[in-house]
Order: sequence, then structure tokens, then C-alpha cells
Amino acid sequence: MFRYAVKELLKRNKLHLLNVITIGLVTLMVITLNSLASAYRDAARLPFEDIQGNIIIQRNGNVPENISGVLLSCSLAPIPQELISEIKKIDGVKDISAALTLWVFDPDNFKRVSGVDFHDSFGQKLAAKLIDGSIPDTDNQILVEKTYAQKNSLEVGRETTISGQHFTVVGVVGTTGNEVMASDVYLNLGTAQEMAYQSQSLQQVETFNDTDINIIFINVGQTSLKAITHTIKGIISNPDMTTGKTPLGQTVGSYNIYTPESFENQISSLFHISDKLTWIISLILFFGVAIIVARNALRTILERRKEFGILKTVGFKNRDIQREVSLEIFIQILAGFLIGLAASIIAIVIFSRTTVSIAIPWELTAYPHFLLSNPNEANVTQAHLLPIKLEPLQVFASFVIIMAVGLATSFLSVWQINKLKPMEVMRHE
Amino acid sequence: MSNIVAVNQLTKTLGNLKVIDRISFSIEKGEFLAIQGPSGSGKTTLLGLLAGLEKADEGNIVVADKDLTSMTEDELAIFRRYNVGFVFQSFNLIPTLNVVENIALPLFPEHVSRKDMFERSGKVAKAVGLTERLDHYPNELSGGEQQRVAIARSLINEPKIIFADEPTGNLDSKTGQMIIELLRKLNSDRGQTMVLVTHDDTIANESDRIIRILDGRIANEN
Repeated sequence: MFRYAVKELLKRNKLHLLNVITIGLVTLMVITLNSLASAYRDAARLPFEDIQGNIIIQRNGNVPENISGVLLSCSLAPIPQELISEIKKIDGVKDISAALTLWVFDPDNFKRVSGVDFHDSFGQKLAAKLIDGSIPDTDNQILVEKTYAQKNSLEVGRETTISGQHFTVVGVVGTTGNEVMASDVYLNLGTAQEMAYQSQSLQQVETFNDTDINIIFINVGQTSLKAITHTIKGIISNPDMTTGKTPLGQTVGSYNIYTPESFENQISSLFHISDKLTWIISLILFFGVAIIVARNALRTILERRKEFGILKTVGFKNRDIQREVSLEIFIQILAGFLIGLAASIIAIVIFSRTTVSIAIPWELTAYPHFLLSNPNEANVTQAHLLPIKLEPLQVFASFVIIMAVGLATSFLSVWQINKLKPMEVMRHE
Repeated sequence: MSNIVAVNQLTKTLGNLKVIDRISFSIEKGEFLAIQGPSGSGKTTLLGLLAGLEKADEGNIVVADKDLTSMTEDELAIFRRYNVGFVFQSFNLIPTLNVVENIALPLFPEHVSRKDMFERSGKVAKAVGLTERLDHYPNELSGGEQQRVAIARSLINEPKIIFADEPTGNLDSKTGQMIIELLRKLNSDRGQTMVLVTHDDTIANESDRIIRILDGRIANEN
């Protein structure tokens, strides 16, 4: 029977070839589209790779009238420690870390300073970028960013001054400068908090307690991301968290919550399509292939009416012919699917060489644009190679759906074959 | 000699037309019988009924001790596979299979090994003089050769009876005569029962007995 099926497919190839090509094309399109959608979803997580988390919380603050001394990165507002305590209580939160980002306008230069707990996950992520030295052990030790260090002739062991305080450089970190919360100097969180607390210019803009921070990184499981984000939104809508008054008498602004979803909207690409659209297109394609394969199978049966009549005459039972036709359909589907899969692998290799650009919201890389000769330089964009890969689950799902199409076509064929009466076929020969 | 076919009061209606009307007759084992009649007389329908391709409305047919009228469709298929061989006017070979495979076609639904299949095909191909063309496809064969393949196919399961419906209808007279001689030889050498439908008197005269059908009834027998 297998030999008969194979010879049928090879010798009477026009309609069968059309089926194989159609199935191959649909497989190619469905697998590639789904892989692209997954790739862009994964790409949206790339900015989070630098911070060991998938939720970032910031709070909008006030714009200072005088730009001098130590300020919160503009225009961020302080976040109370209580919020961290509340978030820690949420089920599914794996890890939480916090930092304080400051702008320091010293007479000789401007620097972005971040206060970091070098022992929490964000601090450890930073430590992994060390290209020289070690992480600070004491309050008067700092890390400096490579480019900043070069520009200011700093190296491990050298001393420098920040807002009148003396620090020793103990390490140099290599960053691209495009990361979320990229800074020139990293020091102990407590030191940064004390520096901010003592800053008159800062206290004139916001009421800052010495335990406040202004950015939180939370790591949660991907599946619970939406639910936890929703819970956090509930917590920050609490009036205790939002209605503090500033020395300027303005209401503290709302919180910003960034998740990979926020970055998905920042991705610009011709091939960027949403999961929902991908599924709709996939369903349409599968429906289309079902119609084409079924139509061709029925056409084949009509063309081979006489042949099936002969088979019945020489002693084939309906079930024998059904098995034969189902085998032919299965071989076509398998061949089409394998061709489509091979083409998808080639397409994925090609797409993996393309670059995806992700615009990072200004607040996350806050740089005083008034210090730049070209204000557009403040708009940071990350460029990544598209993290596209062949998902075994998608391949399996596509195969199952294509097989279901084949099965449905087989049933349709069975129905047609059962209707054939050998004598009628012979009589009309 | 014992009967291999016994037909009693057989009736078949297609639409409003009584194509076979209360026919009764029998065929002896090893007989070479010709059924003759003009177009539309019901001879092909009769052949279909005898071969279990069509169900009778009334009466009964016993072929090789089996009552066809009480069989299911699947039982009839199995019956045809092992008891009946067919030869058609237009050969009815499968275009995508070569000679050996066409001859072995009735063996395909069985679990016969490839080696056995080819051995058995080779034997019957030899009996019909086709040993040189085994790997050819139907479109590479002459009409006479195609009909030989059809005859070999009808013999593959050593059937008890072979039905041939106008087997020379698509052949020139010389080739047609050779095919009739081949059928006759198989009948005499193997004792193979043959039932031949034809409207050709010359061919009918080669048979042991002729049944003439007219308007669905037996007009005469000789």
C-alpha cells in the first residue's frame, strides 16, 4: 500500500504537488510569523537584562527652578521605603531591589550618580560589568563608568570629589551608556541617600527622607507579571503613597510602571506584529490550507473515480481505499510540513541577523538634555540582534494543526469514497 | 460437472426500468460461456450481479457455493478478491503502477510480502506471455499487451471464475483474436471457468454455450 501511495504521489504529481507547496508555504508563514512575534516579545525584555527584573517603578516629580547641587534625576520623585515593604508582601515577587539616581552639578563637571546596594541583585548585575577593580566595601568608595573615567582621568585607586565629599575609585564598569539607569558613578545606596537628604536644592523641590529611593526593580515570574503589575497598581493608588505635598506645595505626581509590554510599543520594525494578530493570521492561513487541501483531495477523488471503482472491483474494501487515500494525504502533509519547516529555519536564520531598535523612555536614562549640544542625543535607543529562535512548541502546534487538517480531509475523502459504487463507475467507463 | 453459478429468478430495476427480469440459469465449473445481446439488453448489469458488484432486487445468486444476495459490501469485496477475476473492454489498469504492480493489485490489501507478490505476478505474467514488459507502465504498452496485463491481474488470486466484459472491444481484430485464444487456452489448460459478454458472433461462437439476452430476459440458449 505504501508503494502504491508513493507512486501515486510521484506519478500523478500536479494536484499533489500543489498540496505539498500550499502546506509548505503555510507552515513557513505560520512558524515564521509566530517566531517573529515571540522574538519581538523577547526583544522587549532585553532592556530589562541590565537590571535583573521585569518591572520598573518610578514616580513623577517636580522640575527644580534652580539646577544646581544635588538633585533627583529630573523629574523623578522620592519613593518611600513603605512601598518596597508592601510590594515584598505580594505572592510571586521573586526579588526586589532599589536605587537612588541623582544629578550632581559640581563646579567642575556634571555627573549622574546612582546609589546602589551592591549586594542586591541589581548591584550584583552591576558587579558583573566590572572591567577593573572590585565593588565598594565602604561608604567612601565608588565605581566609575569606563567612558566617564577616561574623560576625567580616573582609574582604580584615584581619588575624586562628589558634592564636596572625597571618594576613592575602587572599580571601573564597562557599560554601553544605553542601559536603563546608566550612570557615571555608582556608590553605596546609604551614602547617596545621605547626600540627597543633605542637599538643600533637592529638599526645596521634594521632601526627601534619608531612606527614600527613586527607582525600584522587581523580578517576577513571566506568567504572573500581569497579575502582580495589577496588584502594584492597586497599592500605589493608595492615597498614602500619592498625595504627599512638596515644599513647593505641588502634589506629588503619579507612578510610572514599566514592564516588557511598555517596551513592545517602543519597538519599531516592519515585521513587528502582535501575538493576537499572529494568531488571527495563523488561523486564517490554517483555514485557507484546509480548504485548498480538502478541495484538491476531492478533485483527486473525482479524477480517480474510475481507479477507485477498479480497486473495489478487484476486491479492495472501502476501508482499504480509505487507508490508501489517508496515507497519500499524510505523506503530502508530512512532505509539505518538512519543506515548510526547513524554509522556516532558513527564514529564522535570516531574521536573526536583523537588528531591532528599542527606544528607552527618557526617565529611565535621565540625562539633562539642556547640557547636550543636540537635545536629541537625550533620546536613547538600544539596538539588539533580533532574538528569534525556532520554538519547539510552535513547531509541534503547527504540526498538530496541519495534521488535523489532513485528518479532516481524510474524513471528507472517506465519505466520498464510500459513496462510490463500482458498478456505476464501470458502467460509465 | 457441478455448477459454479446458480441464478434463480434474478431481477434488477434501475429507476423505472427493469433491466434484468426474472432470469434463471446456471454455469458449470470449467465452462466457457458467452452472454450475447444488443446494447441496453442488460448483459453488463447481469455480469455485475454475477460478480457481486451490484445487489439484486429479487431472486438469488449462488457463486462458488456462496449466496451473494445475503452478503454485506465488505463480504462482497473479499468474495471478489478471492473468487472472481475481471477483464474489461478498456483494460482498466492503474496508470501510475507498472505491469508487475498492476498484476499484483488484488494482493495489495493483503499482507503479502513484496517477494511473494513479485513471484506470483511473474508466474501469471509468464502464463499470458508478458515476461519482457514487467517494469513498463500502461501508457508504454499496446492495447493487446494492456489486455494481457488485465487478464494476468484477473488470474493472480487463482479465481474460481473470470468475467470478461467485451474484452476485445478496444482491440483490432487480429489482437482481439489472440486475446480470445489466450482466454480459451486458460480455460482448456487450467479448467478456468469463463463468462464472456460480447455482441460479436465470431467470438461468441468460440464459447461452449451462448446465452442471448433481450430486454432483460433470456431470449435463447444454445
